[in-house]
Amino acid sequence: MNASNHNRWSDDLAAYVLGALERDEAGAFERHLESCSRCQEEARWLQPALQTLPESVERTDPPPQLRESLMAEVRADARAARAPERQARSRSWGWLLKPAAGLAVVALLVAGVVGYEVGKDDGSSGGGGVSTLERQIDGISVRMVQEGDGGTLQLSNLDQLPPDKVLEAWVEREGQVEAVPALFVPDRHGHAETTIADMSGVETVMVTEEPRGGSETPTGEPIMAMAVPQ
Amino acid sequence: MAVRREKAERLADEELMPLVGRKDPEAFEILYDRHGGVAYSLAYRIVGDRAAAEEVTQEAFISVWRSGARFDAARGSVRSWLLSVVRNRAIDFLRSRASKAPKLDFDDEASLEQRPARERTEEEALRRETSAELRGALGKLPGEQSKVIELAYFGGFSHSEIARILGLPMGTVKGRMRLGLEKIRGELAEGLA
Repeated sequence: MNASNHNRWSDDLAAYVLGALERDEAGAFERHLESCSRCQEEARWLQPALQTLPESVERTDPPPQLRESLMAEVRADARAARAPERQARSRSWGWLLKPAAGLAVVALLVAGVVGYEVGKDDGSSGGGGVSTLERQIDGISVRMVQEGDGGTLQLSNLDQLPPDKVLEAWVEREGQVEAVPALFVPDRHGHAETTIADMSGVETVMVTEEPRGGSETPTGEPIMAMAVPQ
Repeated sequence: MAVRREKAERLADEELMPLVGRKDPEAFEILYDRHGGVAYSLAYRIVGDRAAAEEVTQEAFISVWRSGARFDAARGSVRSWLLSVVRNRAIDFLRSRASKAPKLDFDDEASLEQRPARERTEEEALRRETSAELRGALGKLPGEQSKVIELAYFGGFSHSEIARILGLPMGTVKGRMRLGLEKIRGELAEGLA
């Protein structure tokens, strides 16, 4: 590369590094750059100067909801990426969902894989006592608080739902699946909770996405299913 | 399988990137905790309002999450790569906002608020460049050099647009960009010496 040819381009170098050449000019410069070792060397030399520019801005704290919202989307992506693996593991949620008895298999699967972690606030498990059951299931934080005969199911790290979908909880009791009447949706932070009025004899709790208005039987793969210790 | 947080926190950015490429949310969260502040600050500096800065930062990080495998350590640090993604997203945001503005008659005696967004953006950019306290290495440059560099880097303007905005020949603009960057680079080299 002779000096005059290089000099013809040298004025464009800083503008190129700053991204300030027009598109066609940048294309022409890049073609020159491929064959000009002096420009390559100068461009490399200028890079650290460019890198000081974003560091020079006055710091402004990002709002906390940015982190929450970003991580909710990332976790949803990660779950989606793992979905084929999960589907291969469970093979066919379809037939498990149709007969009520299928939920017993789900309960065994969940209990066998993740085990139990039960904390009792007052040391008792029945009557008027309070017991708490917590799980991480496919990235969703699940907290089941039982008090007397009733319970509250609290979910975190949920994805946002399409506008035509709701969450519906289901309980399995003596081999029969019952819908929990109250439908619910995640708030903007990915939290959702619903109340289960009668927890007596409940062996499994699960949640599915259903069309707005709810369904009489589960229509899709559960986003979480959890065995309840008796 | 996600790595445990305390273990991942000891890893360098460049070691976290392969984990991000394998869709590990914990590794990604650590990257955000390390660089989210400067990324948001950069986006805010460019787009000028908090809601837009939030949107741009989220889009940029999601793009990094989905394309983590494309990071090339030979071309620079994770931080500089990430900030270049944020800067590009923010400039795209400015341009798309400008292109959606209604076309108005330039001869109209319209108020600033009624002018096309692109023109308004130029005026806003100029005002920010002239009134903002310049910081760091940029602050040590002569104003004429820092102004062209800021309009290019933070405003996303091409050298010909800057020449028009400032009423200067294009060659002068390119020359000031070069002198300014060389001076910053020289300061860095002295600092390392």
